[in-house]
Order: sequence, then C-alpha cells, then structure tokens
Amino acid sequence: MSKLIIDDREIEVSPGTKVIEAAAQLGIMIPRFCYHPALGSVGACRVCAVKFIQGPFKGVQMSCMIDAQDGMVVSTTDEDVADFRRHVIEWLMLHHPHDCPVCDEGGHCLLQDMTVSGGHGIRRYLGKKRTYTDQFLGPLLQHEMNRCIHCYRCSRFYQEYSGYRDLGAMQSANRTYFGRFTDGILESPFSGNLSDICPTGVYTDKPSRYFGRRWDYQRSPSLCINCSLGCHTVASIKYREVKRQEARFSEPVNGYFICDRGRYGFFYSSLESRPRMARINGKQCTFNQAQHAMIEKLEEIKKNSGSAAIAAVGSLRSSLETLVMLAQLCQTKRWRDPACFIDSSQVQNVKTAISRLEPQLRVSLRDIERADFILAVGADPINEAPMLALAMRQAQRNGATIVVIDPRPVSLPFPFLYLPAAPMALSAYLGSLIKAVVNRGTADKMGDGARKFYDRIPEGKKLAEAQPPLSSEMLQSLQQSRRPIIVCGTEILSETVLSLSADFALLLQAAEKQAGLFYLMPGANAFAGGILSGEKDSFLQIIEQIEDGSIRALISVEADPFWWFDDRPRLERALDKIDLLVVLDYLDSQAAQRANIFIPTATFYESGGMLINQEGRVQVAPRALLGGIPISQAGGGDHPPRLYDVGIAGFDPKAAWLTLADLANGAAQEDEKALQQHLWKQISDLIPQLATFSSIDEIPQEGIVCSCGVNIDSRFSINWSAASNIRHDSGDDFDLIEVDWTFGTEELSSLSPCLWKLERKPCLVMHSGRAEIIGLTDVDLVEISTETGSLEAELRTADNMAPGILVLPRHRKLAWQIFTPGKIRIRKDQIRKKQ
Amino acid sequence: MKYPQILLQNRKPDRIATLEEYRQSGGYQALADILEKYSYKDVQEEILESRLLGRGGAAFPAGTKLMSVADDASFPRYIVCNADEMEPGTFKDRVLIHADPHMIIEGIIIAGYAVTAEKGIIFIRPEYESGAKILEREIDIARQSGYLGKNILDSDYALDIVVHRSAGRYICGEVTAQLSALMGKRPNPKQPPPYPTERGVWGMPTVLSNVETFACIPHIINNGPDWFKSLAKTETGAGTKIFCVSGKVKRPGFYELPIGTRLSEIIEEHAGGMRAGSEFKACLPGGASTQFLPKELYDIEMDFDPLREAGSRLGTGAIMVFDHKTCLVAATLNLIEFFARESCGWCTPCREGLPYIRDILWRIENGEGEEEFMPMLERMSKHLWSAYCAFAPGAISPLQGLLAHFKDEVLEHISQRKCPFK
Amino acid sequence: MLPKELRESLKDHIANIDHPRELAVDVMFTLQDHYGYLSDEAVKEAAELLEMTPLEVDEIATFYTFVYREPVGKYVIHVCDSVICWMDGYESIKDCLCTKLAINVGETTADGLFTLLPVCCIGYCDMSPAMLINRKVYGHLNPEKIDSILEKLKAEA
Ligand SMILES: Cc1cc2nc3c(=O)[nH]c(=O)nc-3n(C[C@H](O)[C@H](O)[C@H](O)COP(=O)(O)O)c2cc1C
Ligand code: SF4
Ligand code: FES
Repeated sequence: MSKLIIDDREIEVSPGTKVIEAAAQLGIMIPRFCYHPALGSVGACRVCAVKFIQGPFKGVQMSCMIDAQDGMVVSTTDEDVADFRRHVIEWLMLHHPHDCPVCDEGGHCLLQDMTVSGGHGIRRYLGKKRTYTDQFLGPLLQHEMNRCIHCYRCSRFYQEYSGYRDLGAMQSANRTYFGRFTDGILESPFSGNLSDICPTGVYTDKPSRYFGRRWDYQRSPSLCINCSLGCHTVASIKYREVKRQEARFSEPVNGYFICDRGRYGFFYSSLESRPRMARINGKQCTFNQAQHAMIEKLEEIKKNSGSAAIAAVGSLRSSLETLVMLAQLCQTKRWRDPACFIDSSQVQNVKTAISRLEPQLRVSLRDIERADFILAVGADPINEAPMLALAMRQAQRNGATIVVIDPRPVSLPFPFLYLPAAPMALSAYLGSLIKAVVNRGTADKMGDGARKFYDRIPEGKKLAEAQPPLSSEMLQSLQQSRRPIIVCGTEILSETVLSLSADFALLLQAAEKQAGLFYLMPGANAFAGGILSGEKDSFLQIIEQIEDGSIRALISVEADPFWWFDDRPRLERALDKIDLLVVLDYLDSQAAQRANIFIPTATFYESGGMLINQEGRVQVAPRALLGGIPISQAGGGDHPPRLYDVGIAGFDPKAAWLTLADLANGAAQEDEKALQQHLWKQISDLIPQLATFSSIDEIPQEGIVCSCGVNIDSRFSINWSAASNIRHDSGDDFDLIEVDWTFGTEELSSLSPCLWKLERKPCLVMHSGRAEIIGLTDVDLVEISTETGSLEAELRTADNMAPGILVLPRHRKLAWQIFTPGKIRIRKDQIRKKQ
Repeated sequence: MKYPQILLQNRKPDRIATLEEYRQSGGYQALADILEKYSYKDVQEEILESRLLGRGGAAFPAGTKLMSVADDASFPRYIVCNADEMEPGTFKDRVLIHADPHMIIEGIIIAGYAVTAEKGIIFIRPEYESGAKILEREIDIARQSGYLGKNILDSDYALDIVVHRSAGRYICGEVTAQLSALMGKRPNPKQPPPYPTERGVWGMPTVLSNVETFACIPHIINNGPDWFKSLAKTETGAGTKIFCVSGKVKRPGFYELPIGTRLSEIIEEHAGGMRAGSEFKACLPGGASTQFLPKELYDIEMDFDPLREAGSRLGTGAIMVFDHKTCLVAATLNLIEFFARESCGWCTPCREGLPYIRDILWRIENGEGEEEFMPMLERMSKHLWSAYCAFAPGAISPLQGLLAHFKDEVLEHISQRKCPFK
Repeated sequence: MLPKELRESLKDHIANIDHPRELAVDVMFTLQDHYGYLSDEAVKEAAELLEMTPLEVDEIATFYTFVYREPVGKYVIHVCDSVICWMDGYESIKDCLCTKLAINVGETTADGLFTLLPVCCIGYCDMSPAMLINRKVYGHLNPEKIDSILEKLKAEA
C-alpha cells in the first residue's frame, strides 16, 4: 500500500493506483478527458495536471500518468496548476463551435463541466475557428467533428480496446481528424460506446437525436435481455418510451461498455405495432374481458379433457418472476410442466451447464479479461454474445493465447488460433488436450472417478483421426498458462462436450492452474429456464402431445414458437388442432396474431424483474417506466389530444406474472404487495443464496451468483466410447447448424429499425472446397428442399470452417423453419442452384 | 585557428569519400579491432569513458544508452540511426552523409556490436533523397566488403542495415515517434516506460542515436577515450562538434570545431564574420528549439554545460545568426509557425497552444498588438513546458528567449502599433 | 490499377520482410510515383498489399508532408519557408514563383506541370533561400535562377 497526501488529506491506496484515482477515492474529481479507467492513461489532454510538492516527482505533472507512491504530497488547487488547467481548457475551447444549445451532449458533457469548473469563462482568442467536415457513420451515431477536443478516446477505444480498424486519427497538428477512411457504416458492433466515452458531442446517439436533454429523461438502471450475458444498462425514457440506452458500469459483468445489439435492442418496447389491448378471436376487448374468457375457457377444457390437456410454453426473455409464476401455475393447476426450450437436447444442454457451474469453476466476464489462455469450444462470441468477444480481446491484448475450436467460420477482431472442427470431433480434441497438459498423477489427485475418466480417454489412433490436428502452439500455451479459461457454447454442442469442458477445467485446477469455466446460453434467462425445467420439458414434446391428441390447450407466455421452432408447417398444423391458444406477450408475434385469447404484457422495462445470466448471477432491474402508449404515437406525431378519461392510454399491459397469478387464483388479485411477497418466497426457496435477503430490493447491484442446480456427482461421468466415436465425413451430406448472428437473428433486437442496416444479408455458409465439388460457388442463389418445405438463400463459401457443415443463420428475413427438430442432416442432392 | 578535422577529415569539395579513401584514413580498423579484441561490454565502456554526448539535441551520454540494454534483453535487437534532421538550421547529418558515409556505417556497426543488434535502420528524411541513395549504395558496398551481413570480418557477429525513408514530419526526429514511424504507425511520441532500449521497434530492445554520434564512435575506438576528451576546449566537454552556421554571416556553412569553441570565434573566424552592413543581434545556438542568445553572450563557450547555464541549449549546434535589421518578433513568429505546423497533434498545449501563440504574435507583428498579450505570452510559454514531449518546450524556447532578452522590441511593436523594422 | 509487375515487385518486397508495415511509407511512395499522387484507390491498394485497412494507411498517409493525398503536378515545388530562408527572401522567391507559374501557393498550373507548396526547413540553410523540386534541392535562389530552373524543367517535361 502507498500512503500519500492529496490536498492535505491522507489516503492509502494499493500499488499501481494512479494519482488521479487516489484523488477520486478521496472524493476529489481531478478533471480528465483522455483518461478513462478502461482505456488507461495516455497523458494527451493534459487537463489532469496537479502539483507534486514532495516525493519522487516534483512540479506540474499529469495525475493520470503517475502511480501513487509513499511520501507524495500533491496539490490539486495550487495556483500554478489551476492556471495551467484553465489554459488547457481555454485551448480546447478555441475551436469549439459553442453549439451547446443544439448539442445532444449538452447537460451530460464532460467538456461543459470542465469548462465551467476549470474557470474558463471568457473568450480571449481572436483568431478564426477551424472547421471540419463530418462523416456519415451509419444509423447509430451522429458525427460532429467540430466539437472534438482530440482526447483520442474514440480511436483508442475503437482500435486498441476493441480491435476494429475502420475508425481512427488522421491528419496531424491541430488538423487531426477522427473518423473513417470514407463515409460509411462503422464496422464495430461496439461502436455505440463511442457516444458514451466521447467527452463531448462528437459522437452522439443518432436514433434519439434532438429528442431531449439528459435531464428531460427518466433514467433508470436496467439489464440487457438480448443475450445471456445480462449486461447492465441505463434506459432513458421520455414521453412514455425508451429512447436511448447506455452502458452502465458493472464490475463483474460488462465493465463500462455494452454491444450495439444491446444498446439499440430496445425498440420493440415502443413499436407502434405493439399490442396494447387484449383480444378475443382477433377482436379487441378489455383486459378484464380477455382474462375472464381465458379463465372460463381453460376451466371448460379442464372439465372436458382434464388438467393434463393444458400445456404452457414460456420463453427465455421473460423475467424470473414470470418463469417461476408459470411453473407454479402449472403445478397448482396440475397442467403439464411448462416448456421453455425447443427440444430435449436444448434443455439437457442448459441443465448440464448449470449442473457443472461449480462455484470454484465459474468465472465472470471480468475474469475472462484476466485470463492468459482462453479455449472457446462451440462458441461464436461476436455473434452469440458480443461482449464476450470484447472481454476476450482484453485478454488477448494482455498476451493471452486464444484458441477457438468450432465448426463455424468464427471471426474475432483480434488474432486467435482456430481449429475448424466438426461438432462430432470436439470431444476428441478436448480429450487430447487433456492428455497433453494433464498427467495421470494429477488426475489421480481428483479421486477414482477422475482417474478412470482419464484412463478411458481414447489413445492416439482415435485422436489422430481428428483433423486438423492441434498445433503445438496451442498445446504449449495451454501448458504454460496459469489462468486458463474454457468458454463453451450450449447451442451447437452435445451435452458431452459441455461436461467434458467442465471436467477439463477441474483437471486444470488439479494441475495447479487457476482454471475457469464460462458457458454461453441460448437466451437471457436460460439459466432460470434451466433450473425450472424438467429433463424432458420441451416444446417439441408439447407438439408431439398435441399431435397425439393429449393436449387441447396451449398457453404461450412471452414466447413465439413461430420465431424459433424448426418446423413451421408442423407448428401450424398443431396449433390448428388445439381448442385454445392463449398468448400473453408484449410483441405482436405470429403466435399472438393467431391466439384465441390474447393478453398484452408489460416489457421488461415496464415490469422490471430478475434475470439469471449464464454465469448464474441473479440480477435485478427495477421498473424503468410505467407503460402506456408513447406520446409520439398517442398524438399521431402531434401533441396528443386531451382525453377526459381516467388512466393512461394503452396502460392495460401488466407484468406477465401478475396475469398468471390472477389465473392461478381464478380471479384478478388486488393486493399486489402480497403477491410479490408470496412470489419472493417461491424464488428464495428456489435459489438458496437469496434466502438471506428479505426482498428483491436487497439484492446488490452486481447481483448474487447462485449455485442452484450444481451437481458434483456429474463430474467425470461422460461416456468416452460414445463421445469419441467420430463419424467420418462422407462428403455427401452436411450437418446443418442453425446459428446466431450479431444482428438480425435475435428476436428482440431484430425489431429495432436502426439495426436493420447493420444486418448481414441472410445466407447459407458452406466450405468452399465442398461447394466446388457440388458445383456451387460464392454468391450463388441456392435452394434447400426438405420434406417440409424449401428455403432460398445466397450461398457464401468459406475456407475456415469444418467441411461437413452447413451454417444457417436464423435470420429474420429468412423463412428458415423447414426442418425437423433435432440433428439436421442435409444431403447434397437437397441443395440446388437457382438461376 | 585551424583545428584537427576528425569527422570531416575525408571530406572532398565535390564528391563523397570512397570506401578506399575511408579505409586509408584508418576506416574500419576500429571495427576489425573490436571484433578481434573487444567484448561488447568493452565497447560500451570505451564509449562511456569518452563522455560522448548524443549529438541529436538531447545530449544523452551515448555510453549510458548502450549500457541500458539489459544483458538478458530479448532478440532481435535494433540499432537505429536518426538522420531525420528536421531541426531548422541543422544540416550536419546531411554533410556527414555526403562527406564520408562509411564513417557513419562503421559507427552503427560498432554500436550495434556493443548491444548485439541484428538489424540497423537508418531513418532519413525525404528531403535527403540524395543522401538516402548514397547510403543505400555504400551499405551495399560495405556488405560486399564483408563489413555487413553474416559473419562480419569472419567473426560471429552479424548485422545488416537498411535505409528507411520517412515521408517528412519534424516530430519523426523524436526517438519514440521515430520508432512508431518505423513500424508504420502514427508518429506520436510515447512516454516511457518502456524505454526504447527495453521495448523499441517491434517491441524489441532498440538503441537510437544521431548520425553525428555514430560518426564519432570509430574514432573513439581507434584513439581512445582520453584522446576524445582532449579534443574539447572545455574541461567537461569531449570531442569535436559540427557547427552549422546560417543566417547573416559571410560564410554560412558547417565547421568541425572543438566542443567549447567560443561563439565569437565561430562567427568571426570560421563563418567569416557578419555580412556587410550587418551587426550581430542575436543567435539561436542550437537549432530552432533553443533560446535566443543576445549580444551579451557573444563570447560563450559552445558546449552543453555553458549553454545550459545561460538558459539555452547546445541542441544540434546549429547557429542561426540574426542581425540588427532583422525583426525578432517576425523571426519568432516564423519559428512558431513552423512548430505549430509540425506539432504531431497528440497533446493539447502543443496542438492548440502553439497556434494560439502564433495568432498573438502575428497580431503584434502586424500592428494589432495589445499590452495584455504580454502576460498571456509569458504564461502560455511557461505552460507549454507541461506538454507531453520535448517538442513543445523546444518550440517555445525562442519565444521565451525573445521575452527574456528582447522584451522592449516586442513592446515597441505594441506601442507603435506596427513593426518597427518595416 | 497497379501494373502487374509493380504489384508483384512490391508483394515480393513485402513477403521478404518480417513486418510488412515497416514498408508502409515505401509502398505509399511507390504508388504515389505511379499515380502521381496517393489517390483513394492507391490508399486501398496500399492497404491490401500491407494487410492494413485503408483507414490505417490513411492515418499515416495524411500525417506526412510528402505524401500527396490530392492530385499534384508533375513537378512538386516545395519552397522552404522556415526562418533562415524567410530571412533571406522567401517571400520574394515565393512571389516570383507564383508570378512565373501564374498560380497561388497550394495550386497546380493549368498544364499540370507544377504544384507550389511551402515546406518546413529542408536542411539547406547554408544555401538559403532554397527549394526542393521532386525532392531535388535548388539553393541560393534568385529570380534568374528560378527562371532557368523552370525553363529547363518545362523543356524536359
Ligand atoms: C521534437 C524533437 C525532434 C527531434 N529531432 C531530431 C532529429 O531530427 N535528429 C536527431 O538526431 N535527434 C532528434 N531529436 C532528438 C532525439 O529525440 C534523440 O534524443 C536523439 O536522436 C538521440 O540521439 P543522440 O543520443 O545521438 O543524440 C529530436 C527530439 C525532439 C524532442
Ligand atoms: S508536445 Fe504534444 S502535440 Fe507536441 S509533438 Fe509532443 S506530443 Fe505531439
Ligand atoms: S486525463 Fe491525464 S492527460 Fe488527459
């Protein structure tokens, strides 16, 4: 620890703390522009100057560049430095357009604050102002270079921090310009962060441009539900709609940043098409009418066909409250257990992951940044959970080796070692990695099970069949690593690989490494879905039971099977067959449109609620707004008419769990508090770690990591002979894998019009060698036919992928739902070139 | 006075010295000797002992720099010769390249040996295209003669040198900016740590020195550190120095003289005195980024220490002479203009402060001066010393000299509302 | 498009060096010599050759004085405007050039032969006033000398 004195006050800080941070710990905010805790110190702006009076440094120095050390005496108020800082600000303002009145940064602008607090108020410079031409940077950010103060934060974030290479500093001296080579959409899916980190208004949020000052907004902490990481956000609301979303600092999860899918993924919440009224058979009605009808109808079906004829489907974008309530409802009503997953392999994968997330193995995104070796298996970070890629980038910048084993053509904004492995070969690779870096003695330390497991790892020959081979570079860096982390997806892998990854991490720990395990999951609340679902509870099973006539009614809660179920015609047939479809949702989904009874629900912003991210972190978002039709829509673009009515237009939707509670109780419930308390009890029973809290409000901001579902007995239990049975790629057919893309495949963000321009064109991706064999080339238009239907898309070829794979994004513009759920195999004669 | 010519001993009026001529003057003997008899440490020690100070302007002890490459530092290591020479008034490196290129090449090889470098790079400004061609040709010749490449002179030591053309910016002369430029990055300076000798070009240990510094090295090896020290006129100095004299003297040019030769002697004896009708008013003693020396210091010994004591710097030893008819406000304006244009744009004081000062000076020079400008100039000059790199302090030095020694001239501009020299 | 031979020779050169970026300036100069200036097209080509992005090339291209990102004449005249040349008559040399070429500083003659640009000290202060034309130096300038230099270049063009 170092002890120093800043402005006559003593403080002790840990070694490596910069003086600027030490001062912050005392509550002294030394001005700064270029310094940012995540981007580090570069000493460019010179506004953080302080005077060093005693100690190893003397005189005016930058507090961001110097580590706090014992014996330092520092003054931030000394006349000399104050005058220097005043000058720095005066210099920075020489060319500023003074356009604060029309600048969206106004009100939360660091430059404004510093100009005022730095004491620069009167313009003395008599020369002309320099002006710049702005660029078009795409739909997300507005460029206004004249406001630039050249702190270099943007180019440092863009290039060094995130690894993208199309925005930077050009020119020199006071002509230095920040932008792109030419006008065009920024390539980085993290570009929105520029509006957060730019200390003035060079990059401002475009979709919310001119909509309001920061103080005009209701600002509320929230959580992102566009993937399973659960990043922290701040939602800005005005006139009853979320207009802007920013990153909110979270030490263990997303740090200072979020991805663009998350930042701009909120537009679904105020779409004009969003259903605000209940409907019975397509006809609008009051909320109470619909609720009555629902209760009555379900009673009727129960009477005629029994409780078991009623099934419910939930989704991974619902709050924990809703999922728990749904489970409870099914239980008390003796309906079938609800399904939140598509098929049994999806449930099993998630459940396996949960069972293997032992406390000593699981790591947070922040731990990933500190890893020195990362092995990603069956995970495509940029596309599945973009912020994971940003965390991996930090590890890579600090020298970590990144290895990706995946059948897809994975790309990342930094160098990594890549093995294009067929899904079937993944366990073999893991096996040989284990053999290469863990010796038998180490395995032995973990007990009998581990030793047997180790001994059964198939030897040489089998592994040698896995092509391409592991490189010595991979093995060496894993051997030398001290903090390796295994990142594992749950979407395209088999359960075995998930287990194996956990076993591997355990063995690495036994080998004295600080190993960690990080799973990705298929949706924001997949963890919760996993702990609430039974092994077999899947939507596919519901479909089968509808088909055999045992299910007569379906309640779909914030779920749209039309979006994610593989076989659209089969789904339609099934829904035709049942007597009742009830849909509760805030989206105008296809399911909602077909519903016999539709009841609108509140969005996550309007209800608030809990989410469990893929790490098992239970996090809470408060309610950010009450709801109601946005003023902009109520008034049709004009000032809304004054209606002499009680309540707010479009205010019916309430949290889905409340409607479910009404249903459970057979009537509308008045006492929301009591319901809440009851629900809290259910939730804290489910998650023992929450037992110490008396209500949801006590959960700390960074959440509580839970270990429910962990099952130590499942260690080292995989069946090696099955796992290492590598199917030889016959060259005649393909394993089709459905994948996520950063933009255009995720249900909620796909509804954000500003993101549409960033979507890649939907396509099928095939290995170029294989494409050649079957006479196809890049950008051919191809058709895939199955028994169910056919699908047309452009073909893209790639060299860096497993040959026996066909990659299909679940793109919103593609009617891709023509497959039989489960493993999908496509014969080459099912693929045809179109003219 | 005539003095021994060391660096310019083989200089011909109309052409460069050939390898043969260089050899005849004892060239490459030092290299042969060290490869045979010296450990790399011995070379470092000889150079340290000689008190050779860097000739690029910062006057850092050359031996200390070589020694700061740790024994266990990683490989490959680089040796970089700074021939960027963009300091206004300075052209000694150009002269050395055009006089006796092998002297520089040998210096680089010996220094390279002292740190076990594998690759040498000569970083040269685009204005010196002819110099770049000469160096490329002579490096080739040196390679063919066994002085470069693998197994230099049948020893185990290997080094090759390439010529790296810059595309022209003053800041590229600054060490860390130059290293970035070499790597195809924006030449913004980088504050150590890490020091270039720890992590320089491509993250590898790198020693960077000026052309003239390298040119001294073979002679130090050949004649010993004591001889080198004895060349200087001052007690603490060492070696000769190439003084570039320009401005209002009869014979602008370059003169190799003992370090510590008096300014008056340089101007009067070597540069032929002032031009007819010109009286000495002031000079910049070491390039554009030093402080004006007024007439009172006309007799100063031109060495690092005396000039530092006088509040200026020996810098590159480029003496720019101004006469009584030259407006020093206008001259300073021109210099500030240069620096404002050449600022790399990284830090605020330099990027914005210099153009601001230029604006004020322009107003003073053009009859729009106000008295309140004076304290502004004084404060801003002081604050420019808190810029990121040494560029801004250098840039502001002439103005500080102006304010220290010629304040009346500035005030006269303001009170007369015009330039008194126009 | 770059002629195949030139492209191949650059590629060769790049393939033979550990760090291609080290050649960034050389590649820019080569393309500039070929196209007359470093056009957007040339930036993209340089980027491709060096495995950089066009932005990364432009980050350095726009930094330097001798990389021309806009069209210039066949002869680029860089007149030194730093202190010694300034003292020795830069203004009149510049005016003389402007009159003779009938252009302003920063412009190119109608016949596309000459572009006139001021430049920082070019290291020929002993021969002031001085200028560079296509990186070749001309010192001790005066109106007559400028005449003959321009005439000679026009004749060669
Ligand atoms: C703005 C600036 C420009 C410089 N330009 C040059 C230069 O053109 N040539 C040079 O040798 N040193 C130049 N230097 C000094 C170098 O940073 C460095 O100190 C020197 O090259 C080291 O060589 P030496 O130890 O042999 O002097 C410059 C320094 C600064 C701050
Ligand atoms: S003082 Fe600042 S802007 Fe000027 S050259 Fe140095 S780093 Fe660049
Ligand atoms: S914050 Fe320290 S120099 Fe910018």
